[in-house]
Amino acid sequence: MRRAPRIPTRPRILGMTPAGLYALYRVHWHTNRGSELMAGAGIAIGVSLVFGVLVANSSILGSTREAINAVNGSASLALVARSPGGVDQQLAQRASELPGVQTAVPILRQSAVIEGPRGHMLAQLVGVSPLIVSLRGAAVKDLGAGARLLENGVGLPSSVAEAVGVQAEDNARLLVNGSPHLLRVQAVLDAGAIGSLASSRVVVMLLGNAQTLAGMPGRVTQVLVKTYPGRDKQVEAELQHLAGGRVNVEPANHEIALAETALTPTNQSTSLFAAISLMVGFLLAFNAMLLTMPDRRWHMAELREQTYTSRQIVAILGSQALVLGIAASVVGVLVGYVLARTVFGAVPSYLATTFPITGRQLVSIVPVIVAFACGVLAAFMAAMSPILDLRKYRDVDAMMSEPGEPGQNITGEIVRGVALLGVAIVVAATLMVLLDSGLTILGGVALALATPCFVPLLFRAATGVLGYVAHNYHGKMLAVADIELKATATRSVALACITALAIYGSIAVGGARSDLIHGLDQGISQQWHSAAIWITPNENIHDTDSFEAPGVASVVSRTAGIAAVSARQGSFLDVGSHRLWVRAAPPGNPAMILSSQLEDGALARAEALMRRPGWATVSSGFASEHGLRVGRSFTLPTPSGVVPFRVAAITTNIGWPPGTITLNTTDYSRYWQSANPTTLAVDVRPGTIPAAGVRAIRQALGPRTGLRVQTADERIAEVEATARQGLSILNDVSNLLLLISALALAAALTATIYQRRGRLASLKAQGYVRWQLWRGVLLESAVVLGIGCLDGAILGLYGHALADHYLRTNTGFPAPFNIGLAQIALTLVIVAGASLVVISIPGYSAAGIAPELSFQE
Amino acid sequence: MSTLELRSVVKRYEGGGETVHAVDGVSLTVESGEFVALYGPSGSGKTTLLMLAATIKLPDAGSVVFGNQELTCLSGDERARFRLEKTGIVFQSFHLSRGATALENACMKLFATDVTIRQARDMARPWLERLGLGDRLDRRPPEMSMGERQRVAIARALANKPSMLLADEPTGNLDTRRSREVLELLREICVEERIPVVLVTHDPQATAYVNRVHTLCDGKLTDGLDLDLQVPVLG
Repeated sequence: MRRAPRIPTRPRILGMTPAGLYALYRVHWHTNRGSELMAGAGIAIGVSLVFGVLVANSSILGSTREAINAVNGSASLALVARSPGGVDQQLAQRASELPGVQTAVPILRQSAVIEGPRGHMLAQLVGVSPLIVSLRGAAVKDLGAGARLLENGVGLPSSVAEAVGVQAEDNARLLVNGSPHLLRVQAVLDAGAIGSLASSRVVVMLLGNAQTLAGMPGRVTQVLVKTYPGRDKQVEAELQHLAGGRVNVEPANHEIALAETALTPTNQSTSLFAAISLMVGFLLAFNAMLLTMPDRRWHMAELREQTYTSRQIVAILGSQALVLGIAASVVGVLVGYVLARTVFGAVPSYLATTFPITGRQLVSIVPVIVAFACGVLAAFMAAMSPILDLRKYRDVDAMMSEPGEPGQNITGEIVRGVALLGVAIVVAATLMVLLDSGLTILGGVALALATPCFVPLLFRAATGVLGYVAHNYHGKMLAVADIELKATATRSVALACITALAIYGSIAVGGARSDLIHGLDQGISQQWHSAAIWITPNENIHDTDSFEAPGVASVVSRTAGIAAVSARQGSFLDVGSHRLWVRAAPPGNPAMILSSQLEDGALARAEALMRRPGWATVSSGFASEHGLRVGRSFTLPTPSGVVPFRVAAITTNIGWPPGTITLNTTDYSRYWQSANPTTLAVDVRPGTIPAAGVRAIRQALGPRTGLRVQTADERIAEVEATARQGLSILNDVSNLLLLISALALAAALTATIYQRRGRLASLKAQGYVRWQLWRGVLLESAVVLGIGCLDGAILGLYGHALADHYLRTNTGFPAPFNIGLAQIALTLVIVAGASLVVISIPGYSAAGIAPELSFQE
Repeated sequence: MSTLELRSVVKRYEGGGETVHAVDGVSLTVESGEFVALYGPSGSGKTTLLMLAATIKLPDAGSVVFGNQELTCLSGDERARFRLEKTGIVFQSFHLSRGATALENACMKLFATDVTIRQARDMARPWLERLGLGDRLDRRPPEMSMGERQRVAIARALANKPSMLLADEPTGNLDTRRSREVLELLREICVEERIPVVLVTHDPQATAYVNRVHTLCDGKLTDGLDLDLQVPVLG
């Protein structure tokens, strides 16, 4: 007997062949192209925001890490000076002679301003010795050949050269320590020569030249140490001994940890936005899926009638969700990358003057995986709901006999359950934040999750009120709107959820941002209004770049109209994982403490204490980390060694995330071993206009000075602009979220109206006229938007309060809580107003539907 | 007297390079209290003729007169007003709002008129009670049977006391028993309210309930029931 030929079995997924899935997807695509594109757009929007924010966040720290590692190469330890004045270069020589040390490379880093025909830029002058080549760092391994090239000139990274408009062989002006120098640009260094440093704000010189230029002969600020394998511990102990308590001994890449601390608040705030963006994206996708739900369920029921099994239905739905999720995520990632490079790509300049932050966008695999996972998950959750029709004991064709649009009913049980869940989440978030304020951002995400939970309850209440008003005040169109809203409850609730989330995010983060700016502005205004005119070496808002000023103060004080000149000092000091901002004012200064920034302590007493030796104010973050209270003692690792201080008062961080310490200039000069000021504060005589004083000082100092002379108002404007630029990413994400939400809402509402054209046509056939239907459509949209706005605004305000709490307690930022009604109103107007304006046009068009469409011919 | 008259009405559709005469010179008069069925297969022009009678579509030629009013010369808004005040329409797929109760659905048309909401409820409630839905006023469509839903749709059509009732395949989605109930109801209304009722159907059994049957084929009207036409029978 002959055997029947074997039919080769094809690979199957849950009983479906890939070819079968493909054929069914083609049918699905041709039937639901519009809504599939809309769902894809929703997911893509969410993914793009998530990916853009993740890339922008990780790029700042990643590029810093890359730049530091590219210079350090194989160095594992470093001696780091505690002030810009640096340490004796001999230290490098002595370090290199220690047993276990292979190489010790001296480096000088100083703030500088590079000027070219196109503009100027605050950058770091980096003086390197040819020895650095031996560290084999990616950025310096080719500098051996370039050592001769840099002789008597500077090398500029291509990004800096482009920004200031110079090329190799051109001359550029370099301002270092308040003195201008004309230098030849010997080389423009691209990524091929110096790797990631090509995007850094640095000016590279040979060490000797840099020392001469900075007026610091024989001084260095850092010594990179390369040890023999396995000798790190031993060498570290030797270096500690060599440092004698006056120089920090750190891992070579310790600056990465310092940058990480400084970036934490920004990263956490933007991460909150990323989470909200994802939720909005998911809801947009879910909403678009709801539009296709009747067709999808009908199609699935037909397939089941044609003997498709439940497993096969799952395979079909899953494959369709997978295609949608992947396609939308690819688009989202690409758009997100563009966003990261453009909108979110700005480097916070207040950090770029302190850390080697580059503008390079680094895309690692993690944000790609996270963004893809979010996109695909959202597609699955939104697309798989027809799976509920596969429940046991349910007829295959049960949905076909359902009247109207199925799945639109929200039962009281669901409303109560979801609202209770929301309450539980809010309570949990509150407890979480009260117990550990470090969990505030997680609390913010939890609040975002709770936000949609209250929408069904508000929806039910709103339709109840609408019905009551309609029946008692004869608002017939209100009654129609009420009925129509109930008929599309699920979809209306989903739309209101999108609105609520967008409003929540915007109000919570926007409010905190606004408070933060308000707090910073108060400090900035108070600080810079304490004198009429300010003389600084550059635009560094932290006032930490000192300048050689022999004679400058006396020249200024002799200028007509000038009453007094006093010096301010300051620098950054690395303590643990914090790069602290140390600021010093003269003991005779009438305001030693910025009263707006005072958190704990009596102002008058603290002012008095601050004029005495050994007293300082500390920021709240530093105080809580070290368990400090007013009157307690603490030590600081100064260039003169470890010095004890006592706490005169506790302040905010005055805008510097890692923390701030304020002392008097007598102590500063003594322990930091420098009399050089970072700023000169100039008081004018009564009757002298500050602008006239500025002109007179500029004239007195002459054209060759590198110092900047500004009125208090000019300085304040400059500092405020920089502070705002540092927060721009929050602003950009917030605005983008609002804009996208408004447009997406308008699109979703339009699609909803379009899908209801059958009902609109039947109303038209019964005698309704166009403007009545239009009014009804707008009324319904307004109610949906109103519910979302109310819910989002309430939760957003709570989120705003939590965010302020986080800023104050965890970062020490000045963030006095202010409801900000104007900001809330603006946010609501943008989302609700823009959406209503946009949908009024398609709404009008839909209201003009031909009544014959209500007939089945 | 409220008499519906269609005088030599023509309705053409252009499509695919050819002209289809959906209604081709049809004249029809339906007197008050007369229940007339338009019978025919799909695509014969029945629903188009109904839409011409309801002023939803305008004829390319001929005229539609109700009472002594020529309807074809009215503006769009005037025709909408005519439908609102004088016409009741029953749709095959009911067009009920699933978010509304039976009473609210029955009031739906009245919400577009000048009556107050309370008046609208007072006008719609008796019809629902008369149609046997007095104990189901607060039920929503998903909680009702198909027959009950169609009765709500009929109550909505009658709530404004129309001068004419037009029904487009009202039994199309119903089983035999429910179909019979609805047809009996329409006949009762026609007799009691003394209004013309036009029924579009392709169910030959429905013709047993009417005063007069006209068969439409390729847009032309013939008197009587032509059962030779291949019309699928429902139920």
